[in-house]
Amino acid sequence: MDEPQTPFSTYRTEVRTEWLDYNGHMHDASYAVVLSDANETVFAALGLSLDYRASAGASFYTVECHLRYLAECSLGDLLSASTTMVAADAKKIRLYTELIHADGRTAATGDSLYLHVDTELGATAPMPADRHRRVQDMLSAHARLERPAHLGLGVGAARAGSVST
Amino acid sequence: MNDDRVSAPVPAPLRLHEAVVQPAWVDYNRHMSESCYLLAFGDNADAFFRYIGIDAEYRAEGHSLYTVETHLHHRREVSEGESLSMTLRVLDHDAKRVHVFHEMFLGDSDELVATAEQMLVHVDSRAGRAVAMPRAVGVRLESIRRAHAELVLPEVVGRPMGINRA
Repeated sequence: MDEPQTPFSTYRTEVRTEWLDYNGHMHDASYAVVLSDANETVFAALGLSLDYRASAGASFYTVECHLRYLAECSLGDLLSASTTMVAADAKKIRLYTELIHADGRTAATGDSLYLHVDTELGATAPMPADRHRRVQDMLSAHARLERPAHLGLGVGAARAGSVST
Repeated sequence: MNDDRVSAPVPAPLRLHEAVVQPAWVDYNRHMSESCYLLAFGDNADAFFRYIGIDAEYRAEGHSLYTVETHLHHRREVSEGESLSMTLRVLDHDAKRVHVFHEMFLGDSDELVATAEQMLVHVDSRAGRAVAMPRAVGVRLESIRRAHAELVLPEVVGRPMGINRA
C-alpha cells in the first residue's frame, strides 16, 4: 500500500440547501454530517468502508464527538477536510478532522472516537489484521503531525478563560 | 418576557423537550445516526432559548445564540419509533456566553442514551460578532444557574477525550 496521506485530505464538498438552519447558515447537526462523510473517506482508504462493514457484519459506533464551530458556512461554500489519526488500537480509532473553507479559514473541527463493533455480538471486536495494519501505518505516518493545542481539552478550555471568573 | 416566569420556581434540571426517533433519523443499521442526536439536542436548546425569552421574534430583531462547541457522549443506540426525553441544565454563564449540559433518556426511564455539553455565544447576527445579552436574559439565566447549582455535576462535564487503555 502507498504511504498514507499525511494529513488525510481528499474530501471536498459544497454546502447544500438541506444543511441550512433558520439563520441561513449551516445547522449545527449538518457540520456533523459533513465531518462524518469526511471521516468515511478515511475509513474507505483503510479498507473499512461501509461496504466492508456491511459484508463483515461490523460497524463503527461513535462513543464520543467533540465539535468546535469556528466559522459560518453558507449555501454553495466549498469545504475541504483534513484528518489526523490521533490514536488507534485494534478496536478503536480516534480521528481529528478540520473542515476548511476555500479561503483557508477553519470552519469547524471534530474530534471523534469510534469503536469497531461486531453487530452480531453487539460488542466491540478487533478489526481484521490486514485492516489493523493499515490503521497502524496511518497512525505512524500521522505521528509526526503537530497536534493542535486545543486537542483533548474540555469544552470552553480553548477560549480565553472559562466562563467562571 | 413574562414576569410570572421570572418569579416561578425553576425546575432542576429543565425538562422542555421530548421526541420520537423519526424514520429519516436512522441509518442503514436502523439506529439513530450521529448527526440526528445533534438535531434532537438542537431542538432541546431551542426549547431552552424560548424559556429564557430568545424566540423567533427575538432572532428577527438581529440577535441569536450560536453554538460554538459541542461535546457528545453516546451511551446506547436507539431505533426508529423509540421515544426520547431530554433535560437541560445551566452550568454557567457570563455576559455573552452560556455553558449548558443536556441529557437524553429513553422514554420516561432513567436510561441514559446520550449527553451533550455545549458552549453558546450570544451574537449580533448582522454584525456577526459576540455581544452582551440583554439584562433580563442575564437575570433569568442567573436564576436558572442558581437552581441548577444544587444538581450533582455529571462526571463527563469538562472531561477531555481520550482512549482509555485497559
